[in-house]
Amino acid sequence: MPEGRYVGAPIKRREDARLLTGESRFVDDIRIAGTKSVAFRRSDHAHARIVSINTDAAKQSPGVVGVFTAADIEGDARPIIASSRMANYQPTPMQILAKDKVRFVGEAVVAVVAENRYLAEDAAELVEIDYEPLAPVTDAEAAARPDSPLLHDGFASNVLVEREFKRGDVVEALWRPPVKVKARFRVHRKTPLALESRVCLAEFQAAKSHMTLYTSSQVPGIIKDALVKALDIPGSHFRVVAPDVGGGFGGKTSLYPEEALVCILARKIRGAVKWCSDRSEDLLATSQAFDEIVDAEMSVDEAGRILGVTAEVIGDVGAYSIYPWTAGIEPVQVISFLPGPYRIEHYHGRVRGVATCKPPMGPYRGVGRPVATFVMERLIDMAARKLGLDALQMRLTNIVQPHEFPYKTASGMRWDKAGFVECLKDAAEAIEYAALRETQAKAHAEGRMLGIGIATFAELTGIGSRLSASPGMPINTGTETAHLSMDATGGVTARFGVTCYGQGLETALAQVVADEMGMLIEDVRIIQGDTDAVGHGVGAFASRGAVMGAGAAMLACEALKEKLVKAASALLNAPEDEISVGQGALTTRDGESALTYSELAERYYSHMGAVPLEIKNALGELSVSRMYDPEWGTTSCATHIAVVEVEREACKIKVLQYVVSDDCGQMINPLIVDGQLHGGIAQGIGAALFEELAYDDDGQHLSASLVDYVVPSASDVPRMAMRHPELEKPENLGGIRGIGENGTIGAVAAIANAVSDALAPLGIEVTEVPTTPERLFRMLDASKKEMSNI
Amino acid sequence: MKPAPFDYAAPAHLDEALAILARTENAKVIAGGQSLMPMLNFRLVRPDLLVDISRIAALRGITGRGRGMSISAMTSHHAVHTSPLVKEHFPIISEAMGHVAHLAIRNRGTIGGSISHADPAAEWPMLACLLDAKIHLAGPTGTRTLDAQAFFHGAMTTALAPDEVLTKVDLPALPRHTRHAFDEVALRTGDYAIVAAGVLLSVGGSPLTGGKRILDARIALTGVGEMPIRMRDAEALLKGQKAIDDQLIERVACLVRDGIQPSSDLRASADFRRELSFSLTKRLVKSAWEQRSQS
Repeated sequence: MPEGRYVGAPIKRREDARLLTGESRFVDDIRIAGTKSVAFRRSDHAHARIVSINTDAAKQSPGVVGVFTAADIEGDARPIIASSRMANYQPTPMQILAKDKVRFVGEAVVAVVAENRYLAEDAAELVEIDYEPLAPVTDAEAAARPDSPLLHDGFASNVLVEREFKRGDVVEALWRPPVKVKARFRVHRKTPLALESRVCLAEFQAAKSHMTLYTSSQVPGIIKDALVKALDIPGSHFRVVAPDVGGGFGGKTSLYPEEALVCILARKIRGAVKWCSDRSEDLLATSQAFDEIVDAEMSVDEAGRILGVTAEVIGDVGAYSIYPWTAGIEPVQVISFLPGPYRIEHYHGRVRGVATCKPPMGPYRGVGRPVATFVMERLIDMAARKLGLDALQMRLTNIVQPHEFPYKTASGMRWDKAGFVECLKDAAEAIEYAALRETQAKAHAEGRMLGIGIATFAELTGIGSRLSASPGMPINTGTETAHLSMDATGGVTARFGVTCYGQGLETALAQVVADEMGMLIEDVRIIQGDTDAVGHGVGAFASRGAVMGAGAAMLACEALKEKLVKAASALLNAPEDEISVGQGALTTRDGESALTYSELAERYYSHMGAVPLEIKNALGELSVSRMYDPEWGTTSCATHIAVVEVEREACKIKVLQYVVSDDCGQMINPLIVDGQLHGGIAQGIGAALFEELAYDDDGQHLSASLVDYVVPSASDVPRMAMRHPELEKPENLGGIRGIGENGTIGAVAAIANAVSDALAPLGIEVTEVPTTPERLFRMLDASKKEMSNI
Repeated sequence: MKPAPFDYAAPAHLDEALAILARTENAKVIAGGQSLMPMLNFRLVRPDLLVDISRIAALRGITGRGRGMSISAMTSHHAVHTSPLVKEHFPIISEAMGHVAHLAIRNRGTIGGSISHADPAAEWPMLACLLDAKIHLAGPTGTRTLDAQAFFHGAMTTALAPDEVLTKVDLPALPRHTRHAFDEVALRTGDYAIVAAGVLLSVGGSPLTGGKRILDARIALTGVGEMPIRMRDAEALLKGQKAIDDQLIERVACLVRDGIQPSSDLRASADFRRELSFSLTKRLVKSAWEQRSQS
């Protein structure tokens, strides 16, 4: 029997052996005889009417099975629409292949199906498309104006979604306060960039009328629920499998046109059809992130107390409202989370999500929070600097104190008790904040530009059915399912709706099940990423996997143990209430008789007549299924502190030190928790310093390869210290808080604050990210010119 | 991202390769493939035939000639990077090789490939200009040799004819007591340079000839135009100087900054490149001057 508990122990991930030795099986590794390959002819126009398409030459190209345009698949799918009850929301039906009009560079227009990808690409080149160019709509701010050309005919405007949150009287709060800071903040467009780009393979078995879609997705449950309706296939005959998945970061939480299309084509050719995105397609057509302009203002009294905050957000949501999340998913959460962990009485946040000629905006690790935290934390530092207050002190003055929980934020969210103050103090202690300020003063005296940046935030994770990312969405994100079954050897197979895509959930859930059942972890198998595994599942996103999966597992383990007691009662001829379960065995109260799980299972299943038939008929298989709905959500919070040095000549920013103190409740596996933070912070450093999808004024994509889309490499990511103070656990099952997004949420703000702190002697405040060498050069150049003008 | 169809030949001898090139329209020589393969996959290059010269043994190796040397075309960046001979006679090359992409790429990428490709931000074309390299080309009618400066015609354009193969690069000996400095600014370690610069200062002379002075000065930059550039005016200013002070360095750097015509791209504006050229030159001239002279 295991010594102690698995939960809380830093055990190595069970999936790593296969991932690291090439034995993993991604969608592209699945071989189905006769599989045809799809290549797309994608739009090279940002906005154009399709006048005509000639596919004659492509159809004659060697190895081509078929060439399909929107007209060829007309009627093969019902409209797929991300609906919502949000007022003033304008949904856009999904274009599986562009019909009549293209709305971004990279939108799929024609699909070529051939014997292999090489031949498909050869033929795709031969397709002739005659476009009538239309005025490109590329600047979200201009696109929101009434005189802008419209992207969608018949719409009232390009504004797809508009919301506001208000508390108190912000006009009064901003009226003649001692100190005001304001700025226009700009966070550029980013891509999730999973290591494995999107791949989908549909197999239609005509004789069985059965469709299987293998797809590199975080949400096979959502994909299935949407496609059975769109394609009119009974759910019992539609299986979606997400096998090993090489990262998602939110980019694989939406339904994509390509997923619908391979199913349509597989049904048409009565076989298997695969599309494997290359990196350019990934950069052109996977859902994207951020791209917001935030005009924000904060008023503060002389003691540094925040009086009021306003934020006016314009989010560039791309050409379509993404399914199922809607165009509001990213920008609306900017104003939801902007008040952060602070006591702010007067707040007014307003957001408009504006359609432009770019790929759809979708959920990306942190969703809204990285931008909200960037803006709020920058404002606090700017105010502190103006008042001559220390950045840490300013935060301690304004952060919600332990006695104030549960705290209702200015945007209407509720923070349950979490270590806001504790993490802030703990991170400062870890980095030796006071001594660090002295080191910085010395460095400044030597002419070195050293900066310290703090970012503190609160995050809502593991959200139940009482909250929705978008009111009236067509899906339920508040529930998850666990199915447990014991076989004749006593081994337990646990099936989940939450998925594993490299974040370690497979190991974490095995730890929970092994502990709850009192078993060796080796005897627990985890099955995920298959809609055949559970009656209904959703997937993993929004830092819900551990909270929802572990909760469902705990409920299911409890139910399975009850069932084992009933079976043992019959086998041991003892009353149920005299049998206890523990350490992988069932024991009678007197200790006289005991059955290990394997003895019980073998006798229950394999010994004829061992259990009276009426009991067995009633009890059935030793399996159970439970759903878990945490109702609300649980707060997690963290403080990040970064130390950077600005290298003046090269205009480069070097991250020297990084500390995080994070309240994530009960850690299931500290190795995985820290790994999640490491990866998230690396992505946050990317957003703060490197990554930007560039589009020119005509809507041409300028960064469609990894030569031009620059991500941090190993040498750009510092060593990091992770701390998790021992604090009161939340009240959900297992006391778990989600951790998956805490890296990206804090890092952008911490780095931007550190860079601003380094440049403070020059009077420079970072308001635009990523702070690339070019942007830094321009800021330094402008400050130099300003100085020489004085 | 799959290449258009092409045929493939991998001759074992140079003559054979030249014969294939002579009789084939639209053939392309492939060496390490580190630039050509992505271009093929993006369908930016569409040869009918790919002539792989990696099996031609005669095209590999580094040969010393006194203090000069000859590097054959298929010699990998890694082989150059780790060569004791290179380090002894051309330490600036050893230093620069550390900036060429990453180990895996250096292991396949070659000097001949890099010089033939002539990327405007690559290290080898700049080193070739800095070191006054002689580029040897073999063609159907024999061989010819070009000065590096004459070889490069523009961004990714050179004097190399479609039926020719770059066979080797000769590096003439540097004067004794040549001091060097090289550095590069890139977005990330291993990226193409935003700007890179190399400086060579040869110091010599005796009390009889009026004392030690700079006998030869060379400054070359890459990333600041269509092709690598030697800064002749700046070099002339340094030549003959007995000592270098901050004022002189500033004048040299100004000549560099005003003597280039960089363009703007996603990574850096022309103004930023000018500023970088200025500051890099200042630092590298100073650093080369202060370096203990090499034998």
